[in-house]
Amino acid sequence: MNLAMLKPGEKGRVVGIGAIGPLKRRLMDMGVLVGEEIRVEKIAPLGDPIELTIKGYNLSLRKREAEGIAVEVCR
Amino acid sequence: MKTQMAAVRPLVAVERTVRIAVAGNPNSGKSTLINSLAGSRLHVGNWPGVTVEKKEAAFERRGERIALVDLPGTYSLSPYTEEEVIARDYLVQERPDVIIDVVDVTNLERNLYLTVQLLELEIPVVVALNIFDEAEKKGYRIDVPAMEQALGVRIVPTVATKGTGLDALLEAATAAAGDPSRYRPRRLHYGDDIEAAAKSLMAEVLRRSPGLAETYPERWLAFKLLEGDRRVIEEVGLSGIEPLAAKAAEHLLSAHGEDVESLMADARYAQAAGLTREVLAKPDVRKVELTEKIDRIALNRFLGIPIFLAAMWLVFKLTFDVSAPFADGLATVTTGPFTRWTRVLVGLVRGPDWLVSLVTDGVIAGVGSVLVFVPVIFAMMFFITFLEGSGYMARAAFVMDRAMHSMGLHGKSFIPMLLGFGCNVPAIYATRTLENPRDKALTALLIPLMSCGARLPVYVLFVGAFFSSRSGTVLWSLYVMGIVLAVLMGILFKRTLFRGESPMFIMELPPYRMPSGRSLMIHTWEKGKHFLLKAGTYILAVSVLVWFLLNLPWGVEHKKDSYMGTIGQAIAPVFKPLGFGTWEAASSLVAGVIAKEIVVGTMGEIYVPEKKETPAGPPSSLSEDLREIGTSFAEAGKKVFTNVFSTAGIASLSGKGEGRENLRAVMAKTYTPLSAYAFMTFVLLYMPCVVAAAAFKHEFGTWKWFGVAFVYQTVLAWSMAFIIYQGGTILGIGG
Repeated sequence: MNLAMLKPGEKGRVVGIGAIGPLKRRLMDMGVLVGEEIRVEKIAPLGDPIELTIKGYNLSLRKREAEGIAVEVCR
Repeated sequence: MKTQMAAVRPLVAVERTVRIAVAGNPNSGKSTLINSLAGSRLHVGNWPGVTVEKKEAAFERRGERIALVDLPGTYSLSPYTEEEVIARDYLVQERPDVIIDVVDVTNLERNLYLTVQLLELEIPVVVALNIFDEAEKKGYRIDVPAMEQALGVRIVPTVATKGTGLDALLEAATAAAGDPSRYRPRRLHYGDDIEAAAKSLMAEVLRRSPGLAETYPERWLAFKLLEGDRRVIEEVGLSGIEPLAAKAAEHLLSAHGEDVESLMADARYAQAAGLTREVLAKPDVRKVELTEKIDRIALNRFLGIPIFLAAMWLVFKLTFDVSAPFADGLATVTTGPFTRWTRVLVGLVRGPDWLVSLVTDGVIAGVGSVLVFVPVIFAMMFFITFLEGSGYMARAAFVMDRAMHSMGLHGKSFIPMLLGFGCNVPAIYATRTLENPRDKALTALLIPLMSCGARLPVYVLFVGAFFSSRSGTVLWSLYVMGIVLAVLMGILFKRTLFRGESPMFIMELPPYRMPSGRSLMIHTWEKGKHFLLKAGTYILAVSVLVWFLLNLPWGVEHKKDSYMGTIGQAIAPVFKPLGFGTWEAASSLVAGVIAKEIVVGTMGEIYVPEKKETPAGPPSSLSEDLREIGTSFAEAGKKVFTNVFSTAGIASLSGKGEGRENLRAVMAKTYTPLSAYAFMTFVLLYMPCVVAAAAFKHEFGTWKWFGVAFVYQTVLAWSMAFIIYQGGTILGIGG
């Protein structure tokens, strides 16, 4: 299960970050850490990117980047 | 106030300069805070060697000299983005006396993540808890003393947009700078393993090179070495340091199953999160925020794009329609009264005719062509700053990213490209909203393919002469050709010049906020001023050069014999396969590099030589001239109003069917519809005008990207015109 598979309104807990190097560091700098809860808010009108809530703020990622973030669905 | 200052100053004889660096996350209100602190004393430039903006201010406060430097807004101090490297290098190498860290209280945890990293540098920090009013309105309660205690720094609540708390902030900053041992930031504990690894690594490093302790904050250096930070390892330049650091990192990796960079990020966020829990109390019931409500509509699946397009239409219309009348007014004044006065002045000192012509046709015309761009630059900077400050820019990027990404661009590339249809010059400046240098350069390279307003008079002339029955379709086809070629060139560049991983798209969608008027004004003014000084120099030089080309050798009678004519004759054969291999066409194209609409003017001069009009009628008096200046600006004001409110179309783009009947008649004999279309294609695509060139140089700090644009556009223009003319001839169309 990865972040790009969540639907708007669904929440996931990060269990792993597949990215490496600058991308991984950047994601972590923005608060995408293992154990963190992320809620998918919206998908852009053209289908990409997506909007998330993490650490109380809104972040957008392209689906390609979101696919590298493994999550487990939270209820 | 002034007199009071003057009275106090002599008492404080000791002059020391307090060097303050201002750091903070993007969207933390940092630039508003800087603007409020420094106001008109702010100097805007670039960080050396990069296109990132650098703001500085020097001023005196209660007898102390203060030097303020604004660091680029960053989320972290990692070595991966230009901004972060700049901020970091400045802090480590220049070691300011104190850091003001601007923190958005409404987004405390993520902002504190940067604060935690700033503390590692062991420079006194003063935290500005900014946007405090919004946090209070949300019912947030912040325990400031507890926070000061936990971090070992001074903390001052501020509201930068209203100027609240700024005096206390400066007071705290100068106090901390004056007594660094008392304001030493606390060393936050990153967990036993990391701390132990850092300590033993540092002991070993210092044993080998004790001098490093003076150049770098020890703990910070240890963390960077553990993280395997390439820049720091290279800078330190100590042989054997890399394997040493790698060994320590390896140890941590095997113990935790995570690389050190991740461990460090986790540890720093743990500190930020822990502190946030301790000092921030949020109300139990969370209200649905305004931002959420707006975004439900603004980013809606169905409404998102129409709203975006409407917003863009409005920005475009306001930018060009508000500025156009002022540009016209400025042009009237420079070509009218100003030119006349200069003639009189040069006449008074008995200057020869050529001097009069050089000053009026060369210098003043050059100054004029710079001035006409000033209103549009001001207007563009104003609206772009507004879009960014309000938070909509990020939404625009969010909505458009999918489409722009397919041609290798970023969602934020759309707005600069759109502005390109009005004028490429502000469009190139607008690429500054793109953070990544690659996105920025690629966007700027494609902007000249957007058919700007200056090319329209050329089309109008030719379309009027050859395609009057299908004028709309022909005009439309040229604009579409530009867009299609931009898409194709974007894909081509993505695969060649910009090969490799396309930059990541990790963008914050900040809450909607009303930007402060003062900040907007300062920003707009700085940009406009910069343009005048920097770009103006190049444009003036080229304008004078073209004057010489048109008027040398001395006493040239016919334009054909001027150097410009000679150049035209020399390069005309190049255009032969394109259907317009005449010296007249070639010379017009050369002159058109000043601004593409000059192609029309030059053609007028060359094809239909007019009797030189010696200033006829009685010379106008000073009062008449002043009245003319007055009315032209009053007209401008009125026209702004009518332009903006009367029509749905973009007034400044509608073709002006000037009375060029004679010229049209001559053209009809010299061109065929096919060669006319090839010529228009060439004008659409060939090199950007000198003002755009100056914008490229100014915005990127190098001629490189203009060079690329020059080469590819020249090749593209020639090839397209060739294909159209030769293809058309073979097919027997319009010949």
